[in-house]
Amino acid sequence: MKQFLYLIVVVLGFTVAGCSGDSSDDEMRPEIPDGGGNGGGGGAVEFDRGAMLAHWADFIIIPSYVGFLDDFADVNAAFDTFRGQPDATSLENLRAAWLESYKRWQWISMYEIGPAEQEGLRLNVNTYPTDTDLLEQNAASGSYDLDLPSNRDAKGFPALDFLLNGLGDTEEAILMAYTDGTSGPRYFDYFEDVLTDIETRVQRVADAWVREYRDIFVANDGASSTASVDRFVNDYIFYYEKFLRAGKMGIPLGVFTGTPAPNTLEAYYLPGIGNDLFLQGLQAVQDFFNGKAIDGSGTGESLASYLRALNTVKGGEALDEVINSQLNMARDMVRSLQAFKTEIEENNPPTDMLLAYDEVQRVVPLMKVDMVSAMSIAIDFVDADGD
Amino acid sequence: MKQFRLIPLLAFSLLLVNCSEDQEDDDLGSSIENPTTYSFVRDGASSVNFSGQTTRILMAEEIISAMMVETTTADALDAMFAHSEGADNFSNPALNASDKNVRGKTAASFDFFSGNATDQALIRADFDTWIGIQVNEVFPNWNAAASPGAAGQIADGSATRYVDGRGLEMNQLFNKSLIGALMVDQILNNYVSTDFIDAGSQRIDNDNGVMEGDKNYTAMEHDWDEAYGYAFGTAEDLADPRPTIGLDDSFLNKYIGRVEGDPDFAGITDEIFQAFKLGRAAIVAGDYEVRDQQAELLRRLISEIIGIRAVYYLQQAKLVLEQPTPDFGAAFHDLSEGYGFIYSLQFTRKPGSQDPYFTKAEADSLITDLLDDGPNGLWDVSPATLDSLSDQIADRFDFTVAEAGS
Repeated sequence: MKQFLYLIVVVLGFTVAGCSGDSSDDEMRPEIPDGGGNGGGGGAVEFDRGAMLAHWADFIIIPSYVGFLDDFADVNAAFDTFRGQPDATSLENLRAAWLESYKRWQWISMYEIGPAEQEGLRLNVNTYPTDTDLLEQNAASGSYDLDLPSNRDAKGFPALDFLLNGLGDTEEAILMAYTDGTSGPRYFDYFEDVLTDIETRVQRVADAWVREYRDIFVANDGASSTASVDRFVNDYIFYYEKFLRAGKMGIPLGVFTGTPAPNTLEAYYLPGIGNDLFLQGLQAVQDFFNGKAIDGSGTGESLASYLRALNTVKGGEALDEVINSQLNMARDMVRSLQAFKTEIEENNPPTDMLLAYDEVQRVVPLMKVDMVSAMSIAIDFVDADGD
Repeated sequence: MKQFRLIPLLAFSLLLVNCSEDQEDDDLGSSIENPTTYSFVRDGASSVNFSGQTTRILMAEEIISAMMVETTTADALDAMFAHSEGADNFSNPALNASDKNVRGKTAASFDFFSGNATDQALIRADFDTWIGIQVNEVFPNWNAAASPGAAGQIADGSATRYVDGRGLEMNQLFNKSLIGALMVDQILNNYVSTDFIDAGSQRIDNDNGVMEGDKNYTAMEHDWDEAYGYAFGTAEDLADPRPTIGLDDSFLNKYIGRVEGDPDFAGITDEIFQAFKLGRAAIVAGDYEVRDQQAELLRRLISEIIGIRAVYYLQQAKLVLEQPTPDFGAAFHDLSEGYGFIYSLQFTRKPGSQDPYFTKAEADSLITDLLDDGPNGLWDVSPATLDSLSDQIADRFDFTVAEAGS
């Protein structure tokens, strides 16, 4: 699998800025002072990067982690019930709680910066497809260390997907795996360890945000390749491009290899859910773009308001509106699809899903070229050479 | 195994000679027939053969794969490395049947090692050591987390790497060092070397069209083909490796492809290919001056591949280590590859000389510097050290750190 190396492409930054005259007025280009974030010079645009960072941390990122953990308590409770009395009802309830939590995960997956980056949270919690051979081997032996990198594809939400939906072809067969005197205790133990692993990691990240990282993040409000806004915008676009666009749609569609691979769909063992998870992720991206507070209390400074402050236009239209329209278009297209698995397996080529993918893709240059150019942010990731 | 494609291009070749005479008759002389692909024919049959090189590359592929299967024994790896005919060491029966092996051609060039059995033995011992560390230190800790001083696994993005206590991946050391010790050494210091290919009566035999035994080629033609085979012996089209360069094996071919992919060096594949081809055509024509010019060109170009990749990995790792949250696994992976390319520098060849770009002592010293910033090797290496090493390497070549580093 490819690794992504981080490159400081200063030259690219200059190049992009150099050709941006078409889309935004050079006269209005902000002079963002180091450290201040609030342009004070004559003619410079006033935008407070620090205020945006504080809004992100306090009203979006930290509440998202807290909300996830609150929800996760329901999964633990449903698991305890299921373990106490494994039957069709308790299995269905556990499945529902898992799915709810998996959706909430889509709202924190993009924040792979600081503590989450340190934790390697995304790959530890949501690497798919899950390696069912390794999972079975771990569960059967009872001897495994979920902290090891090599176990990342045998745990997290995708492992739970397999344990809830993939252990048998029928409901009876799945239940049997848990009621069997030999395999039951092993699967229960493994399930519990996977739950603990997810919760421990997210808790650790959330705690670090509250304890120290929030202030570090907000204080680093300058404009340089190591400033919070520059770094986060890179992580945000990276997430959109690699995990939302490619991971949830492009790779299963075979966009990069020419060979569709429905087995690489997220939530593969519960067909139809992949669409929901994608749409949750897309909504999270869009709400973040618009600075929507998680508690529904309104919006604050955001990438959209930043673009408005910079008066960035594209083709005569405000860029933030162009981006929102394109995100809406992508959502509408994806909503109209059947289950991703059905689209891919029953159409050759899967034209409808490819068309939807194209709309999802159209957001990438709007953010990765136009938006970062207006904000004078250099993109620091490229596909490395693999191996 | 791939068979060389027989492409009768005689008429076409003649046509081309007419063209090239117009443009560069001073360079080529009047008698060299330079074909468009690496296809040379005598009496209607191909005169090209480098199957032994293809065999060794495929053996090396199986060795580096086996180094990543944690149940492999040291004996099994040693036996693959020093295969003897008929031994059941490989998954590919053709390799088992072969009388070739990798170890016997490791650090075995005529120019550098025929009079230096000591360095040869030391270098082979390094490869043996890497196998030993993999089996005795890394395999037992396959399912342990690596930490400073302790072997085990470490994440590199979504990949998992397996390192020793210094953060080094033995499979990468073996793989990348072999590019120097086998491919580069055999090409630059053996098969294109005047002292080797003119030895004995080879030049007279080539002039007189004396075939090697019952083969369809002269000894000199075969020598040059063997050089070519170490670079391109696994290509999909053996007569024209350019379309699939980088995709054919894990050794020199792959990294010619990687350097080709850097816009600063685009075109280097064709330059290397043309030099091999023209050199071979010059041998057919008995024009040894043109042959030797191509040999010097190959020495510069292929040595550059090694130097560029050494600097590339050092610089990539530096960027990773400068991140606020360094991905140590990614840096270790880069530096394990870089280690092998630095090691390979001692097998490069400065054009017009008998010397490598870096002597063995100098390459060893660079590696010592890479690992001695602290007690735990790569766990302690500083970005400043990586810059210093990059500068020292680039200084001896015609490329800059910036050109190689991205």
